[in-house]
Amino acid sequence: MNYHASSVGATRYVGERTPRKEDGRLLTGRGQFTDDVQLPGMLHIAFVRSPVARGRIASINLDVAREMPGVQAIYTQDDLAAIPVQMMSFFFTPIESPVTLLADGRVACVGDPVCMVIAESRAQAEDAAALVELEIEEEAPVVTIADARTGPLVHPDKDDNIAAEMGDEDMLEEAIQPLLDKAPHVVTHTIRHQRIAQSPMECRACVASPEGSGEMTVWMGCQSPHLAARYVALVMGLPQESIRVIAKDVGGGFGLKNIPWREEVAVVVAARLFGRPLKWIEDRYEALTASSHAREQEVSLTIGLDDEGKLLAGWSDYACNNGAWPMGEDANIAVHMFMWPAYKLPAYGFVTRGWYTNTMGLGGYRGPWAMESLIRETTLDKAARKMGIDPVELRRKNLIYLPDQPVTSNMGIEVTDITPGECLEKLVANVDIAAFRKEQAEARKQGRYLGMGIATYIEPTGSAGAMAPMTGETVQLRIEPTGKVVAMLSTHSQGHGTATTMAQVIAEQLGVAYEDISVFEGDSAIGAFSPGAAGSRQGVIAGGATWKATEILAEKVKAVAAHLSNAPVDAVTIDGGMVHVEGAPEMSRSLKELAEIAYGEPARLPEGMASGLEAQFRYQPPPMTMTSAAHCCVVEVDAETGFVKILRWISSEDCGTVINPGVVEGQIAGGLAQAIGQVLLEDMPYDARGNPLAATFKDYLMPTISDVPDFEYLHANTPSQTIGGMRGVGEGGAIIGPPTLVNAIADALAPFGELGGETGEVTLPLTPSRILDVIEQRDVSGHHAPAEKTVAAPVAEEAPAEPVAEAPAPAPALAAASIDGDWDMTLKAPMGGQTFLAHFETDGTALSGYLSAPEGQQDFSGGTFEDGRMKFEVKVDKPMKVTLKYDLQASGDTITGKCKMGMFGTAKVNAVRA
Amino acid sequence: MSEHKIDLTVNGHRHSATVEARTSLGEFLREGLGYTGTHLACEHGVCGACTVRVDGVAMRSCLMLAVQANGCAITTVEGLAKPDGTLHRVQQALKDNFGLQCGFCTPGVAITLATVLEDNPSATTSEMEEAMSGHICRCTGYQGIRRAIRQLAGEPA
Amino acid sequence: MKPAPFDYARPTSVAEACQVLADAGGGATVIAGGQTLMPLLNLRMSQPFILVDINGIAGLKGVSRADGAIRIGPATRQADALKDATLAQHLPALVTALGHVGHYQTRNRGTVGGSVALGEPAAEMPAAAVALGATIEITSVRGTRSVKAEEFYLGPYMTVLEPDELVTGISYPEWPEGHTVLFREVAQRTGDFALVGMVGALALEAGAIARAGIGWFGMGPTPIRARQAERALVGKALGEIDVQAVAELAVADTAPFDDHHASAEYRRTVGRRIFARTLRETLDIRSAA
Repeated sequence: MNYHASSVGATRYVGERTPRKEDGRLLTGRGQFTDDVQLPGMLHIAFVRSPVARGRIASINLDVAREMPGVQAIYTQDDLAAIPVQMMSFFFTPIESPVTLLADGRVACVGDPVCMVIAESRAQAEDAAALVELEIEEEAPVVTIADARTGPLVHPDKDDNIAAEMGDEDMLEEAIQPLLDKAPHVVTHTIRHQRIAQSPMECRACVASPEGSGEMTVWMGCQSPHLAARYVALVMGLPQESIRVIAKDVGGGFGLKNIPWREEVAVVVAARLFGRPLKWIEDRYEALTASSHAREQEVSLTIGLDDEGKLLAGWSDYACNNGAWPMGEDANIAVHMFMWPAYKLPAYGFVTRGWYTNTMGLGGYRGPWAMESLIRETTLDKAARKMGIDPVELRRKNLIYLPDQPVTSNMGIEVTDITPGECLEKLVANVDIAAFRKEQAEARKQGRYLGMGIATYIEPTGSAGAMAPMTGETVQLRIEPTGKVVAMLSTHSQGHGTATTMAQVIAEQLGVAYEDISVFEGDSAIGAFSPGAAGSRQGVIAGGATWKATEILAEKVKAVAAHLSNAPVDAVTIDGGMVHVEGAPEMSRSLKELAEIAYGEPARLPEGMASGLEAQFRYQPPPMTMTSAAHCCVVEVDAETGFVKILRWISSEDCGTVINPGVVEGQIAGGLAQAIGQVLLEDMPYDARGNPLAATFKDYLMPTISDVPDFEYLHANTPSQTIGGMRGVGEGGAIIGPPTLVNAIADALAPFGELGGETGEVTLPLTPSRILDVIEQRDVSGHHAPAEKTVAAPVAEEAPAEPVAEAPAPAPALAAASIDGDWDMTLKAPMGGQTFLAHFETDGTALSGYLSAPEGQQDFSGGTFEDGRMKFEVKVDKPMKVTLKYDLQASGDTITGKCKMGMFGTAKVNAVRA
Repeated sequence: MSEHKIDLTVNGHRHSATVEARTSLGEFLREGLGYTGTHLACEHGVCGACTVRVDGVAMRSCLMLAVQANGCAITTVEGLAKPDGTLHRVQQALKDNFGLQCGFCTPGVAITLATVLEDNPSATTSEMEEAMSGHICRCTGYQGIRRAIRQLAGEPA
Repeated sequence: MKPAPFDYARPTSVAEACQVLADAGGGATVIAGGQTLMPLLNLRMSQPFILVDINGIAGLKGVSRADGAIRIGPATRQADALKDATLAQHLPALVTALGHVGHYQTRNRGTVGGSVALGEPAAEMPAAAVALGATIEITSVRGTRSVKAEEFYLGPYMTVLEPDELVTGISYPEWPEGHTVLFREVAQRTGDFALVGMVGALALEAGAIARAGIGWFGMGPTPIRARQAERALVGKALGEIDVQAVAELAVADTAPFDDHHASAEYRRTVGRRIFARTLRETLDIRSAA
């Protein structure tokens, strides 16, 4: 059902460029960011961080630092350990690396926090921090993915440097290679994506104020106060209600602030230990070098096509540098899940791995799986150039259009209402490609190199119900006795303008003036649990929740008015804050009059009706809502300097119902600017000793106004299945932007050769040096020279590199041992480790039993047990419908093996007797 | 380390204070005087968020010491709107054009554009864009800011 | 990111400033505009005991013209120099370069002398001083000395300035009326330090080049004067200049480096090109005139 048609009020707000409610305070310097919070007795924190990438802490001498003026305390991990903490990922699964709040005996990256200084001012804390004497026995670090494959162990207690691993290597030979061998055209493309510093303008920040009763109020730069409160409580083993998180204004998040991380939790722990309000404001040097980073991936994709350009098969090998302490070990399975649902590709396989290194850990960043679009769309363009097919035609042959649906992708994702093809057609209808090609040909004759890039994609948004903490939204709404409307939301804006868009929904649905609506959010004491800004979900889910809650409230208003006027409910309308009864203009009342009666004179209400005018609704949307888009950009490459100028950029996107085009376009534009930064400017490289090389904004090049062109927008509005019909739009620009721009540059450079040269490897960012590599067909950038890997460090008594442990050989099966009974089993799944109870029963070679976790129990039967080898299948519905095929080997009191998880690939399994 | 007594006006209000030599003007405005509208986002002079007007000139308050502001007249973002709350035309243009999202860089942007227009009420879009190149905004992709600039220059946004 | 503690002095005369510097025994740092120094202080990369603020010394500001030279007071704000009529008329190359220094906000406080004295090798002002043959006047309690800009720079942020010395003036020799400006900067973003840049001037007499001063920035550890190219140009008639060969000579004097923004080979390649193009365009215009 399309709820859009059922607006109550006659005045339209949804779809309007309504000025933002947030702007009044933000434009006049009256916002409340975390650093604006001042509390009596508040002290300031500075962290002492490791200057070396890898080593053992030999000693920490605090004697001199403790004597410095203003210093109140200096904590090390030994002190913080008084309050046990188990760090968790965004999915509330335990972090698998041995991460502690401060370094515990070893450091694993430059910037690793080692001590925290508490002093009367930040400057004094920094003075003392500079005098902490750290003695670290430096060891040769593991910096790159290549290092990780062969180097010493980043975490000595691990078997190898693989942080996470999925996919089925055997599938290449068994299923994909035969198809590729038969394909008339095979194209391989490789992209090395640089490391990104998310760089919200407000760095991370935390103020923790302990209250006597064991409660605590925390102000934190976060993307959801609810999630932050729950996270801190969970990792510290406290009741969630004991922590209240307030985040009125937050200066950008972009995924970095998805969850509190080591420093924020350390501030909370230290505040409990010290018993006074503590403030930590990350500075930009810390933010660039010691906030969780993003991206740093290497991916290859091979596709086979028939002579017409139809896709036949694909294979991808993906690796991601997780750093030492990722915010959740990650092989980025989502890259593979979302690479092909918009395309007709019959067969796809992959291996995907995350690697530990001695670099800063990875966290979230707008469109964390964006590599799927980048590698797919650039590979398609490469194929188009190779085969002499127009890139638009190549996409038309393979894209899924509305009449093709519903259809299930090669990895089991069902799409029912995506419109990438339709977005492409709309784009092409609005861009005169033929005229551009003519202009391009003319320009080339004059030595000017123009290029046009096109890319299409879909994006899963508004995910809910498949995995913690992605869930619905609660909206509490009331009409005050004054007739004004108050909404209490669990949304959070780090620039999203949720107070604006939700107020627009309320205004339209309730028939009240936008100005008469106040929206409260940004406080875990308001609303109910929600992950806030994560996964492009707020417009979809909170929008739907607000839509419905407002309808419920409007129904009550109508029921009251109808009762008072002795008229049928159908005859009542609300508009402009007035309640009208059809055919009885004298019965019109203001909402204020009605509210006064509802609150003050309950006897006049219909029998049994609760007093007041309030409504609450929690919306659980469909598990996923897809957004589609096609973008086009035009560039000119200066062949003399290798500089890229973006001349035009057109977005054709379908995010369903658009509540506020100004807000939607703002989201697209912000993502595109970040995309431009990724393709052309931003880079956080490390040297061979593990030092981050872009420690200031002089070296980490953020896009400025002169780097970003005017964007043009085409909106398709195919309502989704959600209440209100919205589709998420928060991340799309950052996903579709990179391939659009890379394709345009590759098109401009086509007269010279393929971007990435003979090796077929494209390394981002496309600096002027790297562009000249293509233009001049020689190694101008020095990028292709063998990397000099010399560790010139005065490495003290270099510790012998721990050999990468051989995978333990399977012990001879103890056939006699019974496996019957309970086992504690761990599955290394894509969202982190999952631990559950496994119960086995054997009858000869027949195997049955169940797997039990707090979320539920799955029974299985029909398995086999022979010579200690256990094979059985379990069907699960969440997060996707998938059959888990276990192949395990029992050996005494341990079981090891693997579990094939359909599209999720293969996970390692371990179990011990319960 | 030395401390210095300074007198200055901020948004027309007189203030006297004793400041440590190393305290930046931006930090002093925020911590010492409570003008928290000025934001410190890089503290090394690149991002522009901390831009304030000193004796009529826009500059980075992270690259100037509080002690150097002795005797100066400072305008921060809190001083742009009229006392009755009417927004400065730069603030209004930013609002009209979705020129801000998270709002963290906005105070500096508003001060810069207001100062350019103060010096030259008929400043062109390219003059304002050139001044704007000294600011980093991570949210908006500069689209709304550029539209605001066009509106301020009397062009179609 | 807070500076280490320091004392602060605001002398009102050069003599007083020099005395403070001398008394500090090497522990003092001069602050003028602070647009390069303050980041270094905030990052604790510079930790002076005392900061000597020269903004209160009236005689260190302003532009004057006398005895065949243009003298700029070191504490002259870049924004003021940009608007200065004398500079516009007599040192247009410097003004062109100034327009590329930092941003509107930093030019409002940053000084010509601060930029010249700090010696960032990819910055415009040191290269302009070298190219235009400027002399840097240096004062201390020991007296005053003058150093040619070309000999002033030793390495990145390293100059011949002794810890007790203060730059008290920069003198640019006058160039003939109607001389030609050479300027080209390749930077990734507006206001960034250059990946590669060149600045200079050519004076023509009777259809031949009478005088040339050309400097590189971003092409080595210091600003670099393109001496070989200058020699190849001087005395040549406009029509007989082999632009490509001169560009080769210009690059031959450089010593660029690799960093993650650009390779040395990029700097050489593009340096050669921008030199040739800038020179060719200049000569074409002059020939046509």
